[in-house]
Amino acid sequence: MLLKNSFLVFKKDLSSELRTRYVINSLLMFVLVTISIIKFALGDEKVDNEILTGLLWIAIFFTSVSGLSRTFVKEEEKETSTALKLSTGTDSVIIGKLFFNLILTFALNLLILILFILITEYQIKNLSGFLVVIVLGNLGLVSASTIIAAIISKANSKGTLYPVLSFPILLPLLITVINATKLASLGVETDKLFGEIQILVSYFVVVTVTSLMLFKFIWED
Amino acid sequence: MNKFITYLIFIIISAVIILGLALPIPDIPALGDKARVLYFHVPMSWISVLAFFMSMWYSIRYLKTRDINYDIKSFSSAQLGFLFCILATATGSLWAKFSWGSFWNWDPRQTSIFILLLIYGAYFALRSAIESEDQRAKLSSVYAIIAAVTVPFFVFIMPRIVESLHPDPIINTQGKINMDSSMLTIFISSLVGFTMFYLWMLNLKIRIEKLIYKKLSLIE
Amino acid sequence: MTSLYDFLETNSLYIVMLIVLIIWIGIFGYMRSLDKKVKKLENNE
Repeated sequence: MLLKNSFLVFKKDLSSELRTRYVINSLLMFVLVTISIIKFALGDEKVDNEILTGLLWIAIFFTSVSGLSRTFVKEEEKETSTALKLSTGTDSVIIGKLFFNLILTFALNLLILILFILITEYQIKNLSGFLVVIVLGNLGLVSASTIIAAIISKANSKGTLYPVLSFPILLPLLITVINATKLASLGVETDKLFGEIQILVSYFVVVTVTSLMLFKFIWED
Repeated sequence: MNKFITYLIFIIISAVIILGLALPIPDIPALGDKARVLYFHVPMSWISVLAFFMSMWYSIRYLKTRDINYDIKSFSSAQLGFLFCILATATGSLWAKFSWGSFWNWDPRQTSIFILLLIYGAYFALRSAIESEDQRAKLSSVYAIIAAVTVPFFVFIMPRIVESLHPDPIINTQGKINMDSSMLTIFISSLVGFTMFYLWMLNLKIRIEKLIYKKLSLIE
Repeated sequence: MTSLYDFLETNSLYIVMLIVLIIWIGIFGYMRSLDKKVKKLENNE
């Protein structure tokens, strides 16, 4: 029942997004702009993986910061949150939104990654480890961003507050994931990244469980 | 608060200041007398973490009971924690200058105190962005709890992965400062004295905030 | 001037102690007076 309702929330978000394509269009443009700025900044320079990994995560972080907050802010702006509150349970809302953000982030990150590799000649020596780290990093990123998005959708200055609130929460994740991505791209074996992977998994679990527990306080009036 | 306790706090901290600076300390390579900042730096950082977790504790209490008094306690503790966090950063930075050569060099410990500052800043930014008292109390409580569950990743896990130069018996045994008994006594009384001082400040702050809330007739 | 410099150098610890002590006494006095004022206001309620 819970999963079915969550899926319905997800489907509702997806279809409303596909109808207007507001977030997708702006984020696609954002990705293109970011990647081309990186390209112009680098020029023909041959750059080390240390710096490229940082640039990659800057692109990923700012894309998600500008996109993920829309999910809840949209409900408040269009005043559909009351309807959503009446039609389904609290838990299904947060799970559905989490799924929607997850799919959105994965799709965008795939695009960022492909463009980034094409443009900067980014060499990945340990591809499987690299993908595992990127996916786990995205999981943590999405779970933290979604609950912050829910908080700021009730506040006044929605746009400026979002990076301020999410950055300190995301920083442990970002430092770990940037380090792990760099190591994987330099060819460190996956089992040597076990410590980082442990942190990423525990971060995701801890933040998701906390947000599931706390979301009802934000959502109710 | 009891007059007797406040005078006790006065005596303890005065004694720490006088004895901590006057008594000889064991020879510490490259630091010498500058290591005495330890008597002030460690209590400051301890209190900034303590205040943060007390703020989280009162946030949980608030969400459970919906009693606005807990919200007052929560953000009073956060404000004092912010003050002590700035003091810890300043004293730590001075210490880093003499022991590592620069005021700021992104040691994992410095990064974590920086994050703590950012979290406090974000918490106050969130509070100032919401007008309704109940909503403000609710959302900032939720934020404090989420921030608090991510703080352990910094304080305990990060320094294990990134090498730290910070002298700390728990995190980094190589950089440990060996204290003799007189130094240890002063150090512990400094911790106790400053913690009591923090509790007194918190008590006063809560009473002032309650008076303000009464004036605005938000609470009985 | 050299003698003053020497004096400051040899007694730097005690000078630091004096300054810290003065600041601490100031803070403590302020806290006490604040405590008294709050007590008065609370009794007026």
